[in-house]
Amino acid sequence: MQRADRRIHQGIERGEPFEMLVDGEKIRAYKGETVAAALIAAGLMTTRHTHKLEQPRGIYCGIGLCQECRMIIDGVPNTQACQTLATPGCQVERQPSNKRGDV
Amino acid sequence: MKESDLVIIGGGPGGVVAAMQAAKAGVKVTLLDENESIGGQIYRQLDKGFRVSDIDTLGSDHKKGLELVEQFSSMKDRIHYLNNAVVWGVFKNRTVAYARDGRSLALKFKTLLLATGAYDRPVPFPGWTLPGVFTAGGAQRLVKINRIFPGQNILLAGSGPLQLVLAHQIIKAGGRIVAILEAGNIRSHWFQGLKGIWGNWDFLKDGLKYLDSIRQADVPLLRGHIILEAQGNGSVEKALIAEVDQHWRPKPGTERTLTTDAICLGYGLVSSIELTLLAECEHGYDFSLGGYVPVRNENMETSIPGIYAVGDGAGVAGSKVAMEEGIIAGVSIAHAFNYISMNDKKRLLTPSLKRLKKINRFRKVLDQISKPRPGLYALAKDDTIICRCEEITLAEIKAAVAKGATCIKDVKRMTRMGMGSCEGRMCGPTLMEYLRILRQVPSEEIGLLRPRPSIKPIALGILAASNSGQKQG
Repeated sequence: MQRADRRIHQGIERGEPFEMLVDGEKIRAYKGETVAAALIAAGLMTTRHTHKLEQPRGIYCGIGLCQECRMIIDGVPNTQACQTLATPGCQVERQPSNKRGDV
Repeated sequence: MKESDLVIIGGGPGGVVAAMQAAKAGVKVTLLDENESIGGQIYRQLDKGFRVSDIDTLGSDHKKGLELVEQFSSMKDRIHYLNNAVVWGVFKNRTVAYARDGRSLALKFKTLLLATGAYDRPVPFPGWTLPGVFTAGGAQRLVKINRIFPGQNILLAGSGPLQLVLAHQIIKAGGRIVAILEAGNIRSHWFQGLKGIWGNWDFLKDGLKYLDSIRQADVPLLRGHIILEAQGNGSVEKALIAEVDQHWRPKPGTERTLTTDAICLGYGLVSSIELTLLAECEHGYDFSLGGYVPVRNENMETSIPGIYAVGDGAGVAGSKVAMEEGIIAGVSIAHAFNYISMNDKKRLLTPSLKRLKKINRFRKVLDQISKPRPGLYALAKDDTIICRCEEITLAEIKAAVAKGATCIKDVKRMTRMGMGSCEGRMCGPTLMEYLRILRQVPSEEIGLLRPRPSIKPIALGILAASNSGQKQG
């Protein structure tokens, strides 16, 4: 499936583009973007699968409260994608349902 | 440990204005905010790394935010400002604890001002946990700050003026909105509306601007419509919608499906009261102000002497009210420290009190129009998830009530609801409404979800590092 870039170009110019990995898939991000923003721009909506019902979840509140966007970012589980800046080459994994690591 | 005359938690418009007002008079202020820069949700600054090429396309909030940042920066030698500071507790010995740079630190205060803001009222319905369902606030951050559309065919659903603002922002940026569902029926309230708008021409002008851009973009604004279900395999693909009556109950036979990949929900806001609760301030229930909110006197002081609260966190009313309340609290605190006289206090507060009165008249009308009706809490089915963290369904809440649960505390103990990592923010407000409906009793009998420190998930390593932090602090 072809995914269109959802970035808005009006009114601003972005900084340096770079690549990052989401479960091994290369996506583009720009300096200053959160991991959540880069995911959504690429049309990737799922951030994790729940423990009990193994349902997919995605970015919901977007402001750091709901904890639905918890991902494994550069090896650290339970990292909020909406509060974490993307960095060149960073490795992001969708948090699977069997890895229970509540903090 | 450091001690401040005044510690302010929250760098949105209310907290920032209070900080500047108090510091101007001579009060020693420390402002803690969990974001990179001040402004809160409404005046949040653009992603760092972005360069503004055309400021006019970014909207008036962007400009107002810049002004606020500028004013605040001009006082930086008089306000001790800590960004990226996540406050996780307030304690009886007049101490706040916060995490910053991977450490936990503590700060002593003589007076405390809580300006913690608000968030979108969570409203469960079938499919609301699917990826692609966003809160209106989250979608707004994406569009305004990250400059990214949440989807290619966006559906807005909810009630009240905030979703018109979001629609305007998406349209202006060139996004495609499938439809805007407004559960209330604005038209039937036009006369009431006129009374409230009288004298509040700024609001009227804004409102007309939003409606105009929606009309020009040919976006259907469906009044008296609600979303019943989000559908899709793995993420949102469709939405089932229906017409509703005045109680927001679907009219049989009016259901239809819309194609969408992003649903933004805006049913008004609820106050973030975790810290006023932790501080043991007295709270009162007012649904249109966002549920339980701290009780305050005319100086914005809560029932605990020396602890103040302003802005949406003390009753949802928007940024204009937050700033007036910030002035009132800042001046009152300066007076309490004897930095300004009673006469000066009166003189400084008169314009704010006048403006507040005018805004409040308008707000009451808006509240009345967009206030959620009973049908909203009848959307969830038995297998709908209510508590996102612990994956508790409506059926499990009903079972707990059948087994004798009478208040929120009982349900929490019996189901684990509210014990997940969102610390009850996403399920607490809903659970309160469900219990009220299931048990047919007033809210006061239901109680509320009492937070415990830490009110934000803090990694154990950070807490373990707290001792060294305190020694240094």
